[in-house]
Amino acid sequence: MSARVKLPPILQELSGGIEAPEVSGNTIGECLNNLEGQFPGIKEYLFDRRGRLLRIFGIYLNSDGLNPVELDTPVRENDEIVILNFLMGG
Amino acid sequence: MRSYTGKLIRINLSQGKSQIEDVPEALMKSFLGGRGMAAKYLYDELKPGVEPLGGDNKLIFMMGPLGATTAMSVSRMALVTKSPLTGTIAKSIMGGNFGAYLKFAGFDGIIVEGKAEKPTYIHIDKDGIHILDAGELWGLDTQQTHAKLRESHGKNTQVACIGPAGEKLVRYGIVISDRRCGGRTGVGTVMGAKKLKAIAVNSTGPLSLYDAEGFKKIAQGIIAELKTSPRRIKMSDFGTSYLTLGFEKMGIFPVKNFQEGHLEDVEKIGEEEFAKIKTKNDGCYGCMTKCGQVRQVTEGEYAGAVSEGPDYETIWSLGGNLANTELASLIAADSLCDKLGLDTVSAGNSIGFACELFQRGIITKKDTDGLELKWGDHGTMMKLVEKIAQREGFGQLLGEGTRRAAEKIGKGAEDYAMQVKGLELPAYEPRAVKGYGLIFATSNIGANHMYGRPREDLAGTTDRFADEGKGKDIARAQIGQAVEDSVIQCSFGPVTGLNPESRSQILVAATGFEEFGDPAYLNQIGERILCLERSFNVREGFNRKDDTLPKRMLTEPLENAGPATGQVFRKLDTLLDEYYDALGYTRQGIPSAEKLKQLGLE
Ligand code: SF4
Repeated sequence: MSARVKLPPILQELSGGIEAPEVSGNTIGECLNNLEGQFPGIKEYLFDRRGRLLRIFGIYLNSDGLNPVELDTPVRENDEIVILNFLMGG
Repeated sequence: MRSYTGKLIRINLSQGKSQIEDVPEALMKSFLGGRGMAAKYLYDELKPGVEPLGGDNKLIFMMGPLGATTAMSVSRMALVTKSPLTGTIAKSIMGGNFGAYLKFAGFDGIIVEGKAEKPTYIHIDKDGIHILDAGELWGLDTQQTHAKLRESHGKNTQVACIGPAGEKLVRYGIVISDRRCGGRTGVGTVMGAKKLKAIAVNSTGPLSLYDAEGFKKIAQGIIAELKTSPRRIKMSDFGTSYLTLGFEKMGIFPVKNFQEGHLEDVEKIGEEEFAKIKTKNDGCYGCMTKCGQVRQVTEGEYAGAVSEGPDYETIWSLGGNLANTELASLIAADSLCDKLGLDTVSAGNSIGFACELFQRGIITKKDTDGLELKWGDHGTMMKLVEKIAQREGFGQLLGEGTRRAAEKIGKGAEDYAMQVKGLELPAYEPRAVKGYGLIFATSNIGANHMYGRPREDLAGTTDRFADEGKGKDIARAQIGQAVEDSVIQCSFGPVTGLNPESRSQILVAATGFEEFGDPAYLNQIGERILCLERSFNVREGFNRKDDTLPKRMLTEPLENAGPATGQVFRKLDTLLDEYYDALGYTRQGIPSAEKLKQLGLE
């Protein structure tokens, strides 16, 4: 399966400005892990040292869902995975 | 009928007198409420050069036009005075229930003047305003004070009080209502200097709205949307604790007094760990999110400690900043600071400053009452918190804040004082988010994260490391914050559900002031407030020279901070010029005559 991962601008710091790279994977988690192959080091900024997705990010599927999805959600061909960041501070 | 009560209480503690005054409609229309209206009273009534801890200073509590209504997360209260830490205007926003009940009692605000001869508290109820003896309350911690006042006046009494730190004039004393603080800039110290221990209010009165039906429709529409909002739910589940791990990765989380950006074992103080010992949520009046995380330590040396917190700021100030990852100690220290009435940010920052001086040999055990100051030593941190609040030994010096402490210590200590205008920096590394740096440098109250948020830098739509091109965004952010603090809406955007349009609509329904229906009109109010606060400071002798950052930010490249490693502030002067230009200030940071005229402040 291949999908596009729309990166939030703050992660584009690590993708050389590429906004929506294409990656392969059967689940959202696999796709995110596979980003590492194209952009070495990016995984470190998505997951904590115990491998959990950092909560400053929310993952949405195909921009139409209002609710964030989990990493084990299956991906269909040509899905768009959207990562949003919630860096509100306070 | 409007959502303003149109009345305020003026209390002169020197004379032991109180009176009720009308709030002019023109003031509401020009300054909105909360921070804006309070700043205007202070500007008009305080002579320049007044000693912040003297009887001539005033302490103003002010609610906003939406406070105590059924709209979400809009019932916070502004506290404004002249700061004993900075000598500038001070503002702090306090949550809880106190403000809403003050409005139910029929008042938009309270202006406290003068200085009582002996410990005093104020009780407001349907029979009037009573200035009472607080001899029995003086010396009690903040929780004991709440309990005593509820014993005397009933369990529904709402309280705003100070702890021993404010009484003893630690320069960063807080005002606290249950577990919600007016935390920064020393507002509690001013209350202590006035010998005012607490204000208690009992009330049941209704609140009027201009267009009750219209208001209900808008408010309920927002609530329906908010119920399922994932961002709001995240705040409810974790409070701001979820920011720690992400910010540490991005190099935004300062470590060891801003010496670096990496914290070993940061996961130990991540949100998951705090969630394991969460017992319930708590928070402000009229907020379904209730972001406060009540946590209880059940084992180990801090067993029994309970706190509604710590939030991100305190996880940093008493945690990462001190290289302390002992989670239980953070709950115990947060609770201790609240009970003693200390600002956790300035307290943790001051302790971090002391640790770095010790690390560098600028101070030794001879200066610290025999304490060895080591990074990560939470036991010593707890002792220092106590010493600061009680103004005992070395704590006396740290209770002065880092700027004054550095001046007294000498030997180059000022290079390690992480403060702007005397207010200690909060939990954001300015070199990693330059927009924050510009906010801290230019803030009229000193380095404060609640004086605007660099949204573009945090989202990444602007380059957070860029040395130029941020002036306009930051001016806009500070104007936006001034509006939020005057409405007063919670600054955690997703919890209010308001956007500029819906905010305007709901303000019109509440107040009947059609002008508020135009978001641009509200922005102009924000700009007016910002300009007035700056004018207050200019009158006190502040100008461009004070709009700066600690030397470290300007000269030392940031170390060990992931993608932010190597960042330093290269062009603060350029950023300042941009910022002043955006706001119509001279290059000396002073509002131009033309700008004052345009904003109706001439
Ligand atoms: S989100 Fe938290 S700070 Fe904001 S109004 Fe609700 S309880 Fe208060």
